[in-house]
Amino acid sequence: MTNSVTRDRRHFEDLQVGEVIDLGRTKVSKEMILQFAREFDPLPFHLDEKAAKASLLGGLAASGWQTGALTLRMLVDNFLSKIASAGGLGFTDLKWKAPVMVDDTIGGTAVIAGLRRSESHPQWGIVSIDFDVRNQNQHQVMTLRLANLVDVREIQA
Amino acid sequence: MTRWYENIVLDEVFDLGQHTFGQNEIIRFAQAYDPQYFHLDPSLATHSHFGGIVASGWHTAAVGHGKMVDALEAEEAKLRAQGEEPGVSGPSPGGSKIEFPAPVRPGDTIRYALTVYDKRLSNSLPGWGLLFNRITAWNQHGKPVYLSEFVGFSKLRDYRPTLGTRVLLALIKLPLIGGWLKRRA
Repeated sequence: MTNSVTRDRRHFEDLQVGEVIDLGRTKVSKEMILQFAREFDPLPFHLDEKAAKASLLGGLAASGWQTGALTLRMLVDNFLSKIASAGGLGFTDLKWKAPVMVDDTIGGTAVIAGLRRSESHPQWGIVSIDFDVRNQNQHQVMTLRLANLVDVREIQA
Repeated sequence: MTRWYENIVLDEVFDLGQHTFGQNEIIRFAQAYDPQYFHLDPSLATHSHFGGIVASGWHTAAVGHGKMVDALEAEEAKLRAQGEEPGVSGPSPGGSKIEFPAPVRPGDTIRYALTVYDKRLSNSLPGWGLLFNRITAWNQHGKPVYLSEFVGFSKLRDYRPTLGTRVLLALIKLPLIGGWLKRRA
C-alpha cells in the first residue's frame, strides 16, 4: 500500500541519527501573542501589559504553548512536510527556559536523536527529535523532545 | 483551583469541561501551526493511515490548557464573590510528558480533567511553590486521547520571608539577577 501523498518523500530508512534541521526564524509580534492568548491561554501575563510587568515574567510574554506551536510550525516547514510523517506520538522533557517577549525572534535547530522501528506496527519507525529553541540573543527559550511516526519503505518480515 | 498552594489537595479531580473540535477549527490551527496534510486537507488526508483529517496533537493540548485557565478564572471569580482572596498561579517551567494515545477527529467531543499529583516548595523562588499537574482527556466513546504532566508555579499564602530572603526578593527585582534566578527555578 503506497501512500500517494508521501511516496516521493524521505522515509524512515533515509533518516540518520545526528541529522541537524535548521528551523529558520519566526518573529513573535504583540498581535500574535494577544491572538494566541485570547484563544488558548487567557492569563493576565499573556494578555495585559500592566499585569505582565507585575508578574514573574516581567513583561508581556508569549504563552509557552505558543512558543511550542510556532516551533512545531518551523519543524513542519523544514522537515515533517518533506518526510513520510505519520503523525506525532507525543513530547517529553518540555522546558520553557526563558519567556519569549514581544518582538523576540525565535529559531534554532532540531536534531534527530534516535531512530527505532515500532515493535507493534512494522509499517512505522519512530524518530526522536530534540529541539533547541533560542531567541535573537542566542538565549535558550525552550527545549523538548518529539516522538514522531514515519513510514518505512521496506517492511521487515 | 486558584486556591492557595497550601489548600491544594493532591489527586482531587477537577472537571475542566468539554470541547467539540469542528473541522474548520482543526484546519485553521493546522494552517497556522501544523500544516501536515492529515491535519489540513480532508481529501488528501484519506490517503493517510488516519483515513481522514485529525486534529494536531498540539491543538488538543492547547485547548486543554485553555480549559484549565478558564476553570482557574471561574474559581477565582467564585472565591471573590464569597469575599475570599484567591490564590495566585504563575507561569510554567515545563512538563515531563505530552501524549496522544488516539487521534481527535472532526466532531469529536473531548472532555478534560485536571489533577495535581504532587507539590513542593520552589528551591529558587521564595514565596512560591510548584504544582505537578496532570491533564487527561478522552473522547465521547470514553477513549483516552491526551495526557500531559507539567509544572506550574503557585504563590504561597502563609509565607513569612526571613531577612536574608527579603534581600533576595529585592535582588530578584533587578533585571539581570532576577532573570538568572527565575531561569533556575
